[in-house]
Amino acid sequence: MIQGCFLLVAKGIGDDTVSDQGGLRGEVLIESKQIGSRQMTSYRLAMSWVLGLVIFSVVVRADEAVDAVGQRFYETHVRPVLAQRCYACHSEKAGKREGGLLLDQAAEWRRGGERGPAVVPGDPDRSLLIQAVRYADSDFSMPPTEKLSDEDIAHLESWVRMGAAAPEGRYESEIAAPSDPIAGKTHWAMHPLVIMGVPEVVDDRWSRGAIDRFLLKKLESRGLSPAGDAAPEQLLRRVCFQLTGLPATFEQRQRFLADPGLPALERLVDELLSTPQFGQRWGRHWLDLARYSDSNGLDENFLFREAWRYRNWVIDAVNADMPFDRFLLEQLAGDLLPFETMEQRDRQRVAAGFLVVGPKVLLGVNPDRQRMDVADEQLETIGRVVLGQTPGCARCHDHKFDPIPTADYYAMVGILTSTTVMQQRYMLGEQRVMERLAGLGDHGEEANSAYEKYWRERPGLKQEVDSVKAALDLLKGSDSAGLAQKIRDDAESFAAGALDEVQPISERIAAQETFLKEMQDRYDKPPGIPPRAMVPADGETMRDEAIRRAGKFDDQAEVIPRGFLRVLMDGEVSGITATQSGRRELAAWLTNPQGRAGMLTARVQANRIWHHLMGNGIVRTVDNFGRTGEVPSHPELLDYLAGRLIDSRWSMKALIREIILSRAFGMSSQFAEASHAVDPDNRLFWRANRRRLDPESLRDAMLSAAGILELQQMESTVSYLGDQATAVGSNPVRRRTDYQCRSVYLPVIRNDLPELFDVFDFANPHMATGARPRTNVPTQGLYLLNDPMVMSTAEFTAKRILAETGECSNEARVEYLFRLITGGAPGENERRLVLEYLAEVSRLENSAGTSEITLNAWTRTCHAVFASSRFQYLD
Amino acid sequence: MTPCNRFMSSLTRRALLRQSACGFASLGLAAMSGGPSRGQSIALAEAGGSGHGGILPHLRQRAKRVIFLFMWGGPSHVDLFDPKPLLKRYGGQTVPSEIWKHGAAPGGVLLGSPFRFRKHGDSGTEISELFPHLAQHADRLCVIRSMHTDGSAHGEALLNLHTGSSSLVRPSVGAWVSYGLGGESENLPAFISISPPRGHGGVQNYGAAFLPAMHQAMAIGAAEIPIQKARVSNLSNSVLARDPQREQLGLIQALNREHLKQAVSDQGIDGLISSYELAFRMQSSIPQIMGLEDETAETLKLYGVDEEPVNNFARQCLLARKFAESGVRYIQVSTDYTWDHHTGNNTGLVKECSQVDRPIAGLLTDLDRRGLLDETLVIWGSEFGRTPTVENGDGRNHHPAAFSVWMAGGGVKGGLTYGATDDFGFHPVENGMHMHDLHATLLYALGLDHRRLTYRYAGRDFRLTDVHGVVAEELFS
Repeated sequence: MIQGCFLLVAKGIGDDTVSDQGGLRGEVLIESKQIGSRQMTSYRLAMSWVLGLVIFSVVVRADEAVDAVGQRFYETHVRPVLAQRCYACHSEKAGKREGGLLLDQAAEWRRGGERGPAVVPGDPDRSLLIQAVRYADSDFSMPPTEKLSDEDIAHLESWVRMGAAAPEGRYESEIAAPSDPIAGKTHWAMHPLVIMGVPEVVDDRWSRGAIDRFLLKKLESRGLSPAGDAAPEQLLRRVCFQLTGLPATFEQRQRFLADPGLPALERLVDELLSTPQFGQRWGRHWLDLARYSDSNGLDENFLFREAWRYRNWVIDAVNADMPFDRFLLEQLAGDLLPFETMEQRDRQRVAAGFLVVGPKVLLGVNPDRQRMDVADEQLETIGRVVLGQTPGCARCHDHKFDPIPTADYYAMVGILTSTTVMQQRYMLGEQRVMERLAGLGDHGEEANSAYEKYWRERPGLKQEVDSVKAALDLLKGSDSAGLAQKIRDDAESFAAGALDEVQPISERIAAQETFLKEMQDRYDKPPGIPPRAMVPADGETMRDEAIRRAGKFDDQAEVIPRGFLRVLMDGEVSGITATQSGRRELAAWLTNPQGRAGMLTARVQANRIWHHLMGNGIVRTVDNFGRTGEVPSHPELLDYLAGRLIDSRWSMKALIREIILSRAFGMSSQFAEASHAVDPDNRLFWRANRRRLDPESLRDAMLSAAGILELQQMESTVSYLGDQATAVGSNPVRRRTDYQCRSVYLPVIRNDLPELFDVFDFANPHMATGARPRTNVPTQGLYLLNDPMVMSTAEFTAKRILAETGECSNEARVEYLFRLITGGAPGENERRLVLEYLAEVSRLENSAGTSEITLNAWTRTCHAVFASSRFQYLD
Repeated sequence: MTPCNRFMSSLTRRALLRQSACGFASLGLAAMSGGPSRGQSIALAEAGGSGHGGILPHLRQRAKRVIFLFMWGGPSHVDLFDPKPLLKRYGGQTVPSEIWKHGAAPGGVLLGSPFRFRKHGDSGTEISELFPHLAQHADRLCVIRSMHTDGSAHGEALLNLHTGSSSLVRPSVGAWVSYGLGGESENLPAFISISPPRGHGGVQNYGAAFLPAMHQAMAIGAAEIPIQKARVSNLSNSVLARDPQREQLGLIQALNREHLKQAVSDQGIDGLISSYELAFRMQSSIPQIMGLEDETAETLKLYGVDEEPVNNFARQCLLARKFAESGVRYIQVSTDYTWDHHTGNNTGLVKECSQVDRPIAGLLTDLDRRGLLDETLVIWGSEFGRTPTVENGDGRNHHPAAFSVWMAGGGVKGGLTYGATDDFGFHPVENGMHMHDLHATLLYALGLDHRRLTYRYAGRDFRLTDVHGVVAEELFS
């Protein structure tokens, strides 16, 4: 029974971490003090729910869960108070044991000092520590200098009531250094998943499933209620854009609106999840994280001619719902995995392009420094994308905030410096260090070698051609001494027939001319670029890296065996061998559902999915689950979602489906004054977040309204570019954007994004981006008002409307225009505004006074609706 | 007037309006204080805080704005601002080890400068004969001869110059300044880059990186495009004249207000409405500034507008003055990629200097007579200098180890020559000034403390100077 209390209290405490606002804590604590019988019932319900869920591979036993939450609470609220206010007189480190009491070890405070046990777990009133800090007895008030704040006292009381959980054994009196990987295990994100059971809510009619109950529970605790359901048209538009980045088709619209209930929604969601357009949108979310680009960026913006294969691999993998653990494994180590067919080998190799597409400083860098820089970029990317951590901060010194010591950084970096993503290649007239390419297909390597050989030897070939030409000139000329000399020195420049002095000179010249033509042809006709891809490989030697003092590449200290972040390990061994880089082991560690790292991976990924679907993460700092990031607004829900992800065998589609089918996803975005007053940022998700279309959806939806969008998969859209991806000096060729394909296939040239992307907050492709910025700047207005693509698309749309509405009235046409562009019918005022505008433009256009509304007027109107907020925002 | 904002206090409303102006008007860090500490997107959502009475500037503000004149390619310091008689004397030889006092003598054959240096003004600042017009401003210039930087390739050095880092993507100097101080105009962005390079880091050199996108520069043209052909993209409509477009915007805004009526108090839609108004205003304000019709013939002549070979740079400099006058905080003017004299250093310098000398002098004169020079920090510089040794017979190679920049206006001590290199111009030997130090000093002039101008991103506070940077306070009076 007592344990049950703990669980509930723990839940209350868990809530506490939601907000930094002072007011909330008090409420939660009050709640935690009033454990009545009704809540006990709910505990039993919750427990049976937990125990019933055997499918969860990550369920933590309830007592462990209590302990976990209690320890988290201890680290957050208790230890800092003890350290700051009590250790000076009651700790080993201070060398003081006033009254015989130590407060820096659990066994010590339970045993207590001269007066008896300082802490009686579960019973604050009998705990001397609590009596002392309450300052009730003037002879026994601690700390003697000044009473603790009410908040601190309340925390101590709650902690004792919860069972006074704390790490056992001896430990440092002082708060451990932030980078301490052992103490760091208590940071919420590093903790194993805690599956608490779905909470009971007061009004259960609203909820459809677990997600709704988690949200509703918290809303109820704040006196809030969820917004009403979105209108079916709004929901349809939201679901279609979220899943495919496109508006609903007419058929989808008709079917859904005919009977817009839950079954219809399920059918719609399942249909959309199975279209290729799903991967074109959700693949792009991953490409933001993978800092996908078609060029190197940074100092030398060389073209990544083959990057598109990786892009398409991501889209295909997302469409195939490749389990997320496999998805990571192939990207981190695809080149090392076994395969049964050549296609499989190549697919896996292409996937590993993830490691190669990062930006690299190419010129003027010491090779050793470059190696460390490249590995640093990869490690920071992996850390942020998969774990929501910032390991890069530990390159020069121990992490200032998070439990990542420099040694752990170099343990991981060794895996990546044992991997090679660069190679020597001949390009633009010289031998350069470039991204590594590997041939695809059965004879890929040979074709690749032959191609590289040609370019490597081309300068020599040019000399040979010149020499053969010189020989020909000598044959034709009268300088017989010169000819004889050349034959002596350089017989290779002559055709066999040209050396045969028995032949008449005309024959010899003819032979040489033939030879020259052959040589010239070889020079003029380089082999075509063979199929190849950006693929890493394990390096020639596997290296454990030395710590670099202050991050300087040439200042080596202790060598650290390759391994992982200790804060996310509990005695596991890395399994890295001397013969491989360790990338396979890295992937296995990152996705082991029994390990801390795998659980954090699941949390981070579940939160990313939530962020995309709901508009904000449960942890809003989606790339930062460290101490400087935000704490989750709904920690239990986050762990529930992470658990669901793992238990569905890492199916992203399953989790997306569950979230979309929740009642919460379908809420209206309607403003409510009372709720807004309590939770202005909508952290508790009392309504849907209204969101602006991203640039890809914006463009695709315009082309779609015009009826000119082409949905099929594209291969390269940068093949016409030179080796310099950006126009520099004599190279005037610039990336094109005049495709009718989906925006995900447009060229992503670092430092030269399509203007649409630049203006509308596309992810900066130099770095992993989990949450794109959201700006509202006039350049966006200028783009929508004046860009030729927007204008011509408006014209196409107008033509389509006029063609398809035949003899219809203008009212009906306006109706159709709105449906096409905004996905809904115009309101009464909107209809009137548009009709008036059409009439006015036509009147001005036709000075003769005819009443016919011209194509011009319809074009301007379509353009205006494209520019309106109704089109740009998802309600 | 929309009834939709009745739930908002007037303060919030004002803040929102300012926010929707986004980087324009006064949305600097001052207006965001307390906001940008929680990751990039959230920082933005929280922007629009406490109005202009914020915490910045940190220090006494000597300069209100910056004009940075960027000579892309790396002009030779020993031919322009750092005279080396010994280099001339030993031209064609290697450095004689007996007169070299700094350890092992550098290798390579020395190339003396053929250009005459003279002392100018009361201060006696030494300036090469290649800058006759600029030399008349000698007492206004503070020449720093002891610059050094990292990166021996252009790309790396350009990124170090513009962002303080070449290996990682960092905000540009102008973006930091915009973030710190905002702009002063309702109709213009805080940061404008006139003719920026497209290569060697391109956009990154004027980008915002992880700072909110509003702090990125508005680019006008590109280095290789003559400024008369440069356009700000989408600033005009190819079909609609002003009136029909105003009418179309009327419909757009009416539809937006309808939407806002239902959405009630939605910051995004409200911001969209304001940003359309600003966009429309920019369509007239920017061409108005870019057109030179309002300038007197005398002013045009002062810069050298329509006179070759200075026409292009004259127009760029005049534009810079107009933007400065209109409240833009940070203005960069770039030459084309013309200063990279691996061959023909001497002829190249004659040509390039003749294109910029008079316009720069004109700019200083013009700023001064309008009372703007005191509050405008003008900086002339490049990504690195060039070797004292010869390359390819008559050229000089890249030299990040030592070069010169100068500053004028904005509270700097005119007539000061700061720092020194060795007898040949290889290395600084006195008051060495790293690029980070220049950045710290630039911010200092603007009243910004480079250690306190920070932005929380990906788990830590970033600053322009990373963990480096020493302010050269002695450059200021």
